[in-house]
Amino acid sequence: MIIRQLLRSPGVVLQGPSKTPLSVIPWIQGKCWNSNIAETPRPESSEAAVAAGQLDAGKSTAKLSKAMKAYIERAKSHDAFMFEQISEYEIGRRHLANMMGEDPETFTQEDIDNAIAYLLPSGLFEPKARPLMKHPTEVFPKRKAAEFDESGRPFHTLFYTGRPAYYQVLHDITTHVQNLDRFADRMVRYSISKDKERTLNLGSSIWVSKEQLESIIVESIQDRHYDFFIKSMNRLADHPYSYRVEEFILKFRKSISSSSQQEIPKLLFTTEGVPYMNASGSRKTAKADVTVYGRGTGKITINGQDILYFKNPQEREQVVFPLQFTEMLGTVDVDAEVKEGGSSGQAGAVRHGIALALRSFVDKEMVEKMRLAGLLTSIPPRRFPQRFGAKETLTELGFCGRCANYPDPPFSFLSQLFS
Amino acid sequence: MAACSRRLSRYLSSGLLRGIQRCQLSSLSRPALSQQQLMEKENDSGSEDLFKARVHLGHKEGSLDPCMHPFIFGSRLGHLIIDLDQTSQHLREALNFTAHIAYRGGIILFVCRNPQFQHLVENTAKDCGEYAHTRFWQGGILTNSTIQFGCETRLPDLVIFINTLNNVLTQHTAVRDAAKMLIPTVGIVDTNCNPNLITYPVPGNDDTPSAVKLYCDLFKNAILRGKEKRKEEL
Repeated sequence: MIIRQLLRSPGVVLQGPSKTPLSVIPWIQGKCWNSNIAETPRPESSEAAVAAGQLDAGKSTAKLSKAMKAYIERAKSHDAFMFEQISEYEIGRRHLANMMGEDPETFTQEDIDNAIAYLLPSGLFEPKARPLMKHPTEVFPKRKAAEFDESGRPFHTLFYTGRPAYYQVLHDITTHVQNLDRFADRMVRYSISKDKERTLNLGSSIWVSKEQLESIIVESIQDRHYDFFIKSMNRLADHPYSYRVEEFILKFRKSISSSSQQEIPKLLFTTEGVPYMNASGSRKTAKADVTVYGRGTGKITINGQDILYFKNPQEREQVVFPLQFTEMLGTVDVDAEVKEGGSSGQAGAVRHGIALALRSFVDKEMVEKMRLAGLLTSIPPRRFPQRFGAKETLTELGFCGRCANYPDPPFSFLSQLFS
Repeated sequence: MAACSRRLSRYLSSGLLRGIQRCQLSSLSRPALSQQQLMEKENDSGSEDLFKARVHLGHKEGSLDPCMHPFIFGSRLGHLIIDLDQTSQHLREALNFTAHIAYRGGIILFVCRNPQFQHLVENTAKDCGEYAHTRFWQGGILTNSTIQFGCETRLPDLVIFINTLNNVLTQHTAVRDAAKMLIPTVGIVDTNCNPNLITYPVPGNDDTPSAVKLYCDLFKNAILRGKEKRKEEL
């Protein structure tokens, strides 16, 4: 072959980095206007040239590129370091077990955490500042896996973009959209109308969050990358034939119902065989422990007292509402113990507790209805933002002495003013 | 269809990995054509394919970059026409160089910032086992690669520009950076582009899908042939 002959032509000696790659093949002169630059060697490509030369000489193994050499060096030193750390950790673990009088063989990470908390009690607020003894793989950051092979060639086509996995996803979206468009054209050509029943239903799910996307593609991205990803996915999902790529789309959808799909606890039974269920509800700062007994007569006991524990009829209505909703008003007994909070908060806490306990008594459909009615969600106590130069009462109502933004006061406040 | 592909393959093979003497270009002025070159010119059907793919269509006269003047055949009703004889010559050289780089196991990076052809260019790169960058160009990719990628990376040995401009119609940073890092470049230069920093400029249309598809096919086949030859040699 002409090329091989030229490579072996006299006067050309394949040596180290001092020889330029372009001079190896004498007929190619770089078309750079500044010819001096063409002569200066580039370390990376000279390695490749040497590799190619050695290949031509008949050797099957290519010389490693500088990039790969550096990576292997770093990998070796990291492995050695981790080995040292892990052996130290194991020795420490056994010592700790002996100290605590436990069997070293069955001393788990949880035991270690408890032992450390006992031996080295820390009054520090920040959990990360407290003494810690965890396995080195959890403590030290994972080494980035080699993204290129022995000759330094990256594995991924889009490696040089810096975010290969993210851009691969975008590439896939485009591929799918193009394929779906072609399919739609075929459907139109053969006058086949769109099958409405097969339309993709994404009502019960939402797009994954930025953090979740980062964990899926194992790459860190910025907000604008995430926003563009969502736009692109919406474009794909809005396609009339998007059901054909359902699998791909659902990879990036998080089902909202499954997140609240907690396991409904099974009914417990007393010694007499009466079914009952415990639940704890909360509202504002109030906490309630509620027990609902089946096969009852509609008796309600709160803190030892009747429903009249709550002075306000609105609060009594709140307590009774879940029973009315599930139509179990006269068929169950309720025993509640509520502490902290005000009257309204306590009423809400009891209501929440009753609703949670009732889940075990009713069927799945009713549970879903209760969830949609908001009976099963605990509303966290409202937090007011720090305002400058404002009194406590004013802060609660959203007034700010410093800035001129006065929101409309709630009417209950006004009633207090005029009472 | 078959006839077209036959013509294309003839176009590719006539200049690829052969015609070594013609690659020697030391000045802007073209030397007189040798006998071999004249013979090849007779057999040259490449210009016809280029014409059919609308490679000769340039932008309007007002947007002409002065450095592109030598490559222009003329203009028609304000629209510039690129000289396809020159284009075919430059393209031949560029493909030859690309094939050589592929033969030597070099890393080839396709760059195109035109969103219309982004997907096509990425697919082309994937099909020939090379690399593509059709996204936002982060400054340090070539000039600061160790910090950009977090580890020592091997830089591309050739950068092929399907479009030398970025999406705001200024020159792509990679043109300058590749020149800084002494990486040879092949670039399709349209009438509004500056070919000065590009090692193997190919004057031609970079906006029409048929032209871009032609370039992608030609470069892909050149690379694949180079790799095939490498496999044969081993």
